[in-house]
Amino acid sequence: MRNILLIFRRDYLGYVKAWGFWLSLAAVPLFLIIGALFMSFANHSSPVRYYAVIEPNRTYADAIDAEFARGEKRDIELARDMAEGMNMPVAGDTADIPPLTSRKFIEVPAPADNLDGLRPFLMGEATVSGPAGDRPLFAAFILTPDRSELEYWSDDVNMDTLRYTAESALRDLSRRTALRKAGLSADFVEKAEDAAVTVPARRIRSVSEQEAAGGEVTLADRAPVFVAGGLAYFLWLMIFSIIQYLLMGTIEERSNKIFDTLLTSVRMPELLAGKLLAVFAVTSTMMLSWGLFAVGGSAFAASQVPEASNVIAPLLAAIANPGILLPAMVSFILGYIMYGVIFMALGSLCDTIQEAQTLLSPMMILLMLPMFAIMLAFKDPGSPVVDMASWIPVFTPFLLILRMPHDPPVWEVVAQMLLMLATTLLVLWFATKVYRAGAVNGAGIGDLGKMVRSGFRKKAA
Amino acid sequence: MTGSPLVLTDVTKRFGAFTAVHRLSLDVPEGGIIGFLGPNGAGKSTSLRMSLGVMPADEGTIRLFGRAPDIGSLRRVGFLPEERGLYKKMTARDTITHFARLKGLSAADARARSVELMDATGLAEFKNTRISKLSKGMAQKVQILSTLAHRPDFLILDEPFSGLDPVNQQVLEDLIRAEHARGATILFSTHVMEHAERLCDRIVMMARGRKVFDGTLDQAFARLGQGASLSVEDGYDLAAALAPKGFEAHRTQSKGHGDAWRITLAPGAGAQDALRAAIEAGAPVTGFAPDEARLRDVFVSLVGEAEAADLDRADAPADMEAVS
Repeated sequence: MRNILLIFRRDYLGYVKAWGFWLSLAAVPLFLIIGALFMSFANHSSPVRYYAVIEPNRTYADAIDAEFARGEKRDIELARDMAEGMNMPVAGDTADIPPLTSRKFIEVPAPADNLDGLRPFLMGEATVSGPAGDRPLFAAFILTPDRSELEYWSDDVNMDTLRYTAESALRDLSRRTALRKAGLSADFVEKAEDAAVTVPARRIRSVSEQEAAGGEVTLADRAPVFVAGGLAYFLWLMIFSIIQYLLMGTIEERSNKIFDTLLTSVRMPELLAGKLLAVFAVTSTMMLSWGLFAVGGSAFAASQVPEASNVIAPLLAAIANPGILLPAMVSFILGYIMYGVIFMALGSLCDTIQEAQTLLSPMMILLMLPMFAIMLAFKDPGSPVVDMASWIPVFTPFLLILRMPHDPPVWEVVAQMLLMLATTLLVLWFATKVYRAGAVNGAGIGDLGKMVRSGFRKKAA
Repeated sequence: MTGSPLVLTDVTKRFGAFTAVHRLSLDVPEGGIIGFLGPNGAGKSTSLRMSLGVMPADEGTIRLFGRAPDIGSLRRVGFLPEERGLYKKMTARDTITHFARLKGLSAADARARSVELMDATGLAEFKNTRISKLSKGMAQKVQILSTLAHRPDFLILDEPFSGLDPVNQQVLEDLIRAEHARGATILFSTHVMEHAERLCDRIVMMARGRKVFDGTLDQAFARLGQGASLSVEDGYDLAAALAPKGFEAHRTQSKGHGDAWRITLAPGAGAQDALRAAIEAGAPVTGFAPDEARLRDVFVSLVGEAEAADLDRADAPADMEAVS
């Protein structure tokens, strides 16, 4: 154990003392902060733009204005739904809540009644007065004489938000007009939709549980799936992150010709364990740092919204559930070891970084397969494909975690854990052979096939 | 200690159809300095790596401190591999400390020992320098110090002088003598026979994977016909003068300042005995030169000139490394 810790310590410090590590560590929070600031800045710095509508009466202008108002209402309702889904308090009536963002397109009276008259305003040579001061006209809608088109004129043909809003407004206007002509009220469709029978989700529970907790689906019901999905993705992300560490770290030692010295001081399994642990700790440090950043952000959010604990508590309860935690930990550890030693063994066969880079692409593709399986399992955990795939050792660590919230048969869980253990031991045995051949005897990628044949022949014998 | 630190019995190693080491038996006596000699490709490094369990033997048995090599027995060994390697981003002191800790020293002892060794070998000012910033010779010194740091009972050094300039070769020789004086058993491989002549009390010679000689330096030299060259004034019959004393003398050439004679020594006699006999016989001696037998000559006598030429070829890269 002491030797494992010494190998771990040296490798870990070797990684974390490198500039690249700190750059990687800082990159994600910086990216998030800069991205959020940029989005916020872009949102706030987006200028207010004026538009005018030339038509005999205000039919289209009012329709466009109403469409903007509907969009603002939709944003508020979406925010309410999200808050309700997380058991957070919501304000009373949607109509009482002000828009979440200020409107960026404002209608102003048209300074001229034809295109030639509008041209200098549209081309920025003259300004019009409005709520945001004097500005050029961003766009103008002109109804054609035959009323078949509402032409959209602007100097900026790339900014289509206003045009799309107008198209949506006109579609709504057309529908309302058709309903009115058919003798139906304008809000007929909305009333019809409101009258439809709703289909609320209910969770079946035992009678006593139902009496105590009711039948409504809460976050506590969904948390195990979220947690399992998060853990499976976290495992995948960890493995994905360690590829280059394990490849490059082993190449450095092979090119430094240090293995003979190491192997007269530590056992091969100690060496492998120390190195795996170091890379695990490096990636954990990164994830933990990013996690702390996220927790810090969440704590700040919670200080603004005290009821945020309604979200956190069910998730923590799901994580602490032994039915999920135990298989998840077994899957996590065995999956990490299984993939880790494969990459480490392959790295030991490479002499140069260029040689290792040629291996990166196939490894990435190999790792995309579990990712597809994770996505499928998350979407449809009961799929027979997921059931079958969970018996394939390279998928088992991820899919077993994802299946746990859906209460798979106990014998399947135990059998799959044993399968993972057996596979991990087999991979460990063979990877150790490959590692020794590569690190000590200088074998290359080209010798891999020979090693596979000789390894399994000897095993068979 | 428990007798011989290392015993190899009929050890064989093959790489495919090539036999790198053939039925090698070796008993390294406790407290000795043993030279493991031979050209590149003779099987020296393979034998040493097998001795330490880095590489398994195909046949034969290996006993390191009385048992198969394991971490317990390896803790008593300091090994300097032929292919040098250190962590380039570690400092010199951290490197020595790390390897000393891997050999069982506590953190405090390892740190103190690394400072002590670096101070003693003139590396003190470089203790916080990264290995990548050190010259090749200095980095090699750091690796040698890493090998010695845990005060091993048995030092195995594979081509320790390779890549060192003459000054540092002398420093290393002094270190080896100091370790020997401390009580360590030392086994080192080299293809440069002069190092072995200066340091070893016993040598093992390898050629093409086979052991061709195993004995003391005297025993090695005894395999050669020892002799001396004597010059006497012109016309003096040295052969007649020495014959009664048991020495055989043949006139070889005249250099204008007397006749040169080649003396074949009597069994058990040294060159000085021949000189003494000539003076006692009243010979007008004008010059004397005992034969300087070299291990290379012994090696030639054992394996032939063609094989010995590999030694000279093996020297070339070492010299170039020293220059670089």
